[in-house]
Amino acid sequence: MSHAAHDAAGGAGRESDDQVDAELIARWKAGDDRAATALVERHAAALARFAVASGERSEVDELVQDTFVRAFNSLGGFRGESSFRTWLFTIERRLLLDRRRAEKRRRDRHEVQEGDAATEYDALDSVVADETQRRLRAAVERLSPTQREVFSLRVAEGLSYKEIAEAVGTTEGAARVHYHNAMRAVKEFLDE
Amino acid sequence: MNDCQNAKIRDQLPDLLHDRLGADERAAVLAHVESCADCREELELLRAARAMLQAQAPRVDVNWVVNALPAATQRAVTVQRRRPVWADWRIAAAVTLLVAGGGSFAVLRQRQAPLATSSAAVNTAQVGVPAHADSVAVVKSPTVAPTPSERTVPSRENVVVSEAGLGSGRLGDLTERQLAKLLEEMDQLQATPITDPEPVSLRVGGDDGSTGLEGA
Repeated sequence: MSHAAHDAAGGAGRESDDQVDAELIARWKAGDDRAATALVERHAAALARFAVASGERSEVDELVQDTFVRAFNSLGGFRGESSFRTWLFTIERRLLLDRRRAEKRRRDRHEVQEGDAATEYDALDSVVADETQRRLRAAVERLSPTQREVFSLRVAEGLSYKEIAEAVGTTEGAARVHYHNAMRAVKEFLDE
Repeated sequence: MNDCQNAKIRDQLPDLLHDRLGADERAAVLAHVESCADCREELELLRAARAMLQAQAPRVDVNWVVNALPAATQRAVTVQRRRPVWADWRIAAAVTLLVAGGGSFAVLRQRQAPLATSSAAVNTAQVGVPAHADSVAVVKSPTVAPTPSERTVPSRENVVVSEAGLGSGRLGDLTERQLAKLLEEMDQLQATPITDPEPVSLRVGGDDGSTGLEGA
């Protein structure tokens, strides 16, 4: 089976999710504020996961809020060409990049180095008792930013390569390559 | 930890994890995983990675997020308020176009009338019975009754011809029927005027003696 067919076959659940989102968006446009609550409940956790997987450690809730505010302000322009969740990931990623650029300009500091990341994980170790999870966390953190994003969207959210490509602004083929490279890197780290 | 050589199956493992495979595909992948230690190991790794990624994300206060969103009800009310304003402008634009267009048409007819000796409108006026009641209006003086000779050569002031029944440009001169037709035409008018003028060709001193401005 081709990869396209694979994506199509795996899209049955997504179509149902997309339909629910479309109905909620229509209700919100018609004046039903409760539909907004339902949409936030459906996608807030995924946005928080993606933010953390992308390396965001502080003010994740504010980033999620900003993402929804921006999305709802431009919901009139959402044509449903991609899924609502993928669209949210795209917005959040853009905000994340803007935030990092602003941070870099303001502090003129280096990007978070591996040592810094390890320090943060050390702080989390007290609550993460499971050794496998701790090592997995370290392995994922050592991926490149793009690999981390793709790995997170594929593994934690179950997005197809096409959806991942839309969210991170790359091609479907490149998304597949990033995923497999990330998986290989994680395995190698765990085997060390 | 080794990679299975079946790249297609490995590609589908995250979809299996998220239950996003069709029934046939799911059965095929599961059958392969049962017989493949590498894929079983990778599937376990995916489960652990998903649990780790989900556990490390902070919980987001949904109500806090929702309170920052624009209110849907405000959007609905705003849309409803805009419609009458837009409709008023449309009516105003339509009336302006009608009055200006009607006046121009009347002036044009006045200039053409001496040359158009065989006009159907004039013939209709001579017998006093309009061929098309909606398009021809005969206005008689209330104090002086027309003689037969006057009726055979009607003055331009007495005959008002207009497709819209608005040749004089004065609303007060229209009959009730003409007013009704005018209102009907106003309802059918488009709000946005045509921006590009119709192409015209000017023919001066034609063989038939017409001065006509004709559509190209």
